[in-house]
Amino acid sequence: MHPFDYYKPKDFDEAFAMLTQPGKKVIPLAGSTDIIPMVRDERWLPDAVVDIKGLPGLRDIKLVDSGPLCCAGQTAQCLYIGAAARMNEIAHSELVQQYASVLAQAAQEVGHEQVRNRATLGGNMGTASPAGDTLSALLVLEADVLVKGKDEERCIPALKFFLGPRKTALQPGEIILGVQVPPLPEGTLGRYLRISRRKGADLAIVGLSVMAIPAEGGYQWRIGLGAVAPTPIRVPEAETILATGHDEATVEKAIQATLAAARPIDDIRATAAYRREMVVQLTRRALQDIIAQIP
Amino acid sequence: MLHEITLNVNGELHIVPVKSHHTLLTVLREQLGITSPKRGCENGECGACTVLYDGKPVNSCMVLAVEAEGHVIETVESLAKNGELHPLQKSFIEHNAVQCGFCTPGMLMSAKGLLAENPHPTEEEIKHALAGNLCRCTGYVRIIDAIKDVADHS
Amino acid sequence: MTKQTTDPVGKSVPRIDAYDKVTGAVQYVDDLQFGPGLYYGKLVHSPHAHAIIKKVDVSKALAVPGVKAIVTGEDTPHRMGLYMQDRYIFARDRVRYYGEPVAGVVAISEEIAEQAAKLVEVEYEVLQPVFDPYEAAQPDAPLLHPDMAEYQWPPFIFPEPGTNISEHFKLRKGKVTDEGVDPEVWAQCAAIVEKTFRLPQIQHVPIEPHVAVARWDLSGEVTLWSPSQSPFAQRDLLAQGLGIPHGNVRVISPYVGGGFGGKAGISIEANVVVMAKAVKGHPVKVRMTREEEFFCTNVRQSLYAHTKIGCDKDGHVLAMETAYYFGGGGYNDYGVNIARAAGYSCTGPYSIPNVKGDSHSVYTNTPIGSAMRGFGMPEIHWGIEQIMDRLADEIGMDPAEFRRINCVKTGDTILTGMKMPAVDLVQCIDKVTEAINWGKEEPPSAPHKKRGKGIAIMWKAPAMPPNPGSSAIVRFNEDATVNVYVGAQDIGQGAFTVAAQMAAQVLGIPYEWVRVSVNPVDTKYSPYEWQTVASRITWSMGNAVRAAANHARTQILEIVAKYWDEDPADLDIKNGVVISYKSEREQPLKKMVVYGLPNENYEGWQGGPIIGSGKFMPTYVTNLDPDTGQGARAVVHYTVGAQAIDLEVDTETGEVEILKIASAYDVGKAINPDLVMTQIEGGAVHGMSSAFEGMFFDENGRLKNPSLVDYKIATAMDIPKEIHGDIVETPLEDGPWGARGVGEHVMVQTAPAIANAIYNATGVRFDDLPLSAEKIYRAIHAQEEQEQ
Ligand SMILES: Cc1cc2nc3c(=O)[nH]c(=O)nc-3n(C[C@H](O)[C@H](O)[C@H](O)COP(=O)(O)OP(=O)(O)OC[C@H]3O[C@@H](n4cnc5c(N)ncnc54)[C@H](O)[C@@H]3O)c2cc1C
Ligand code: FES
Ligand code: FES
Repeated sequence: MHPFDYYKPKDFDEAFAMLTQPGKKVIPLAGSTDIIPMVRDERWLPDAVVDIKGLPGLRDIKLVDSGPLCCAGQTAQCLYIGAAARMNEIAHSELVQQYASVLAQAAQEVGHEQVRNRATLGGNMGTASPAGDTLSALLVLEADVLVKGKDEERCIPALKFFLGPRKTALQPGEIILGVQVPPLPEGTLGRYLRISRRKGADLAIVGLSVMAIPAEGGYQWRIGLGAVAPTPIRVPEAETILATGHDEATVEKAIQATLAAARPIDDIRATAAYRREMVVQLTRRALQDIIAQIP
Repeated sequence: MLHEITLNVNGELHIVPVKSHHTLLTVLREQLGITSPKRGCENGECGACTVLYDGKPVNSCMVLAVEAEGHVIETVESLAKNGELHPLQKSFIEHNAVQCGFCTPGMLMSAKGLLAENPHPTEEEIKHALAGNLCRCTGYVRIIDAIKDVADHS
Repeated sequence: MTKQTTDPVGKSVPRIDAYDKVTGAVQYVDDLQFGPGLYYGKLVHSPHAHAIIKKVDVSKALAVPGVKAIVTGEDTPHRMGLYMQDRYIFARDRVRYYGEPVAGVVAISEEIAEQAAKLVEVEYEVLQPVFDPYEAAQPDAPLLHPDMAEYQWPPFIFPEPGTNISEHFKLRKGKVTDEGVDPEVWAQCAAIVEKTFRLPQIQHVPIEPHVAVARWDLSGEVTLWSPSQSPFAQRDLLAQGLGIPHGNVRVISPYVGGGFGGKAGISIEANVVVMAKAVKGHPVKVRMTREEEFFCTNVRQSLYAHTKIGCDKDGHVLAMETAYYFGGGGYNDYGVNIARAAGYSCTGPYSIPNVKGDSHSVYTNTPIGSAMRGFGMPEIHWGIEQIMDRLADEIGMDPAEFRRINCVKTGDTILTGMKMPAVDLVQCIDKVTEAINWGKEEPPSAPHKKRGKGIAIMWKAPAMPPNPGSSAIVRFNEDATVNVYVGAQDIGQGAFTVAAQMAAQVLGIPYEWVRVSVNPVDTKYSPYEWQTVASRITWSMGNAVRAAANHARTQILEIVAKYWDEDPADLDIKNGVVISYKSEREQPLKKMVVYGLPNENYEGWQGGPIIGSGKFMPTYVTNLDPDTGQGARAVVHYTVGAQAIDLEVDTETGEVEILKIASAYDVGKAINPDLVMTQIEGGAVHGMSSAFEGMFFDENGRLKNPSLVDYKIATAMDIPKEIHGDIVETPLEDGPWGARGVGEHVMVQTAPAIANAIYNATGVRFDDLPLSAEKIYRAIHAQEEQEQ
């Protein structure tokens, strides 16, 4: 494996000093489940990694008050998930199950047990693979991403965070502190579904996050897709259609709108054509599943 | 970069110089001579290198050795106590859950991690917990049986 | 030693190796420690599938500090091969597949070797590659081995120099000419099905990748540590390939972390030995990464099969024409014998009166096709077993009944003219159909699912030269415990356990008294064994162990008989004690098996340390006529079996869920029934997984999925909901206690059984592997569209 240096900072100042060494390619390291394979394949060649897992607050999963940056203007508390929280911690967290069920479900689908004990939410976001399981869930949750650089903290809506395959809105030297999920009304329903070649430990061919949020006189819907475009995407067209109701005909229209939003490619895991078909099937299943739960 | 670290493996402390980019798997096998974690892919895919890390199964090929300082690492060598096999080991023997044996140490560690968290898993939960441990020989049937047997009798 | 299992043959005693395997005590090759003198090596791989090597420049790589030596084709002038001697250890003039080793770098660390390997500069002139075996067999195909005529091969292989065909086996039976089966026979057929089937290359995926350590001593002794199914064959090939005496080569093979044929014969081991020669006195270790394991070690061949079979209205199969083209990869050193085996078994387990079969292995610019579990049989059964289903369908007969009528039966004159040794395939069919409620339509678990059942049957003979030998030694210790020595390998199938059971049975001692002293197998000390392949070990090694134990037993009985002045024929050994049925005297084996027994009044002694040796080699296999494939005895025997599958297809996704797979095999005698069951279970999952596996190459021959990320094998979550097994026991004439092998057979017909069940569920058929949810989904929907 290509050699690199390893630093473990005591605090944020040290972390940023290490991350911003001039002339060096230094990247944050969390669970290393993307970094090690990528360096082995020589697709990433960092000079050094900075282990950010131990920084204060990065593994917290808790409720927080609305802040000046993220979660601004919320009257109720937001769910904060530290960037270094592991997939299994997220999947098993009662808080996440309660406040962001779709994310708990998505985290449960990542890789396999050993990977989920290492892989972090921040790492999944940092890698920004189109197939990253948690990403479409963050989109439908309309989570805010709290980001910190040497000089400032910023809040980036998840909807604006993913810019392309392996491209995010992070500036060099910035790290993700965590995400904040705005409060959702009681009765919110969420479903994450995916399809892969094998049932066990495989990457998603299509990933789908759906949420139904009780709103005046009915439900507001959110649909997010993974692995069918250069980034995870939301499907506002379908959401608008569903806002009018969820009878069979409307659901079919929403499915067609979801399909129209997908821009998949052929790769070794599936053809674009099959991905499109699976967008249809998964959307139908997820919608039916949620509709069945609507009281 | 070289780091001198103390690794806690199977209750013993080892002071070892490790390179930044070397994985825990490499250091356990090549520097400490603890060879039960196997090298099957070094890519997080096969689970042959599974160890317990603070009680939870992880792929030791997906962990940098340097960051393992201060954590508790367990391998199959720690299972038998006072010359007595661990119930999982006994059960693997009784159920013929072992063929070539290459996946066995990783399977045992995954199984131990599972039962510590969930002492009475269902068959589906066992399968789910083993999804990251590939076995090409047994078809998994006996491994699942062996784990179930231990869970049922604990 | 509390538990005492007497007469262990036929009992499910625990595996002899299990304790060491669950405690982590077992050492595989990469676990062995070689001290600070150990060097590491890395191979330099060809980046082209087909090219002429113009120049190799190692100067930059050699200049890297820590690099000790670099070897290239210059250093390996001898051709090598198990059957077809077509391969240089390192490519010399030409590379024939992407990933072929062109150089080996030896350095003080693996990292330095890896970095230096990138600096080896090779100039290539790229040639037109050919990947498809059928295309490669055509006269205008790019030629991979223009010098084939100069190669050496055994008399039973028939290559066609000037083409890419490295073996052409011809089978002609009944009313046939080289043109085909007599049209009159076809005219009698009520149904004829003719189809082309294609299978991709797939990989064994043992969880332990290939690794080898070699040391070339200054004395000229060469030691190789390798996880090997074939330590003796490796010794033979190394001695040949390097021009050194067999006695100077020592192959040490500890436990193997999964073989499946991939660790049979030789792959990277010879490269490592040559690298070690360049740094005499230092052990050199080379480990394949998982990626290299995929493209630089052996794989299962691809197959193009064109098959036509016809039956009369009562369901009797009358005729078959088949042409097989195995894509053997760049070198067919082992692969030629797979095409041959597929040729002399080309009908599958059916008695067919008129057969024209042509089986070829063909050079293709892909990784080396070699032995894999089933050795050609899974490949050919894929097509045959689907055609048989189609025929049954066309004449309106139940597919299980169709197979009962046509399958091979004891005493049949089979395709090569040989009389079928005793087997009971009909009973296997009965068992599996019963196990899955054959004929009973059962509802799927959801409206969008379709449920179906399918059956497939199989046969397979050990495919090997006519005379592969086994040998064994049993040696008594003072306390009457016994050490058994064999040269066979335990690759997970349980060979050592059955060796111990057999020795204990013959010697009349409890199973627990036996140690199998073969870890590691060491060609310097272990008795000879041809190879642990062909599912021949229980049978062949078993016969050798039985002979060795009998040899020891005879010595013991003679000594005691003399001591008691009785006839040895009246004596027996029970539970470690020699007894006389006549005088009812007793003599424990303890002590006497080493110290002997005193004469009367201690006037002298007799006996002494008991060591038994035994061997086995089949002596009755005959030549086959090169033009017709006919001969008195083509093979030693066949193992037969059946599988039936109950499954559901999700019509919305194409996903398949196997609800139940039932298998039954005629193993002659189950020496250890539970170990047979573990083969049946593991094989069912391996077979199921293999139906969904494939190696995919780009247009330049580069493997697109050389990792477990994109070459998926079944996980615990993917296995059938229920796996059922039945053992049928029709004794084999020359098997130990009647036993024959079953290790490979357990996956041979799984893929076509799945395909037949999918057809039963959905009405859709697949001619090509691999299957995938996507492919199934598309086929179901294409069919729906057609219907509309
Ligand atoms: C066997 C296996 C199976 C997998 N299966 C799946 C799967 O099914 N679904 C899936 O989505 N993924 C899968 N992955 C990929 C991987 O596990 C996930 O993407 C994981 O979430 C990455 O997290 P990590 O903590 O390991 O990241 P790391 O490898 O530590 O880092 C990944 C990237 O994110 C950056 N990064 C990490 N933390 C931060 C931070 N706080 N701020 C800024 N940048 C940061 C790093 O610099 C790096 O660029 C799999 C991986 C393996 C090895
Ligand atoms: S070696 Fe670590 S998962 Fe395969
Ligand atoms: S026993 Fe061989 S891989 Fe599991």
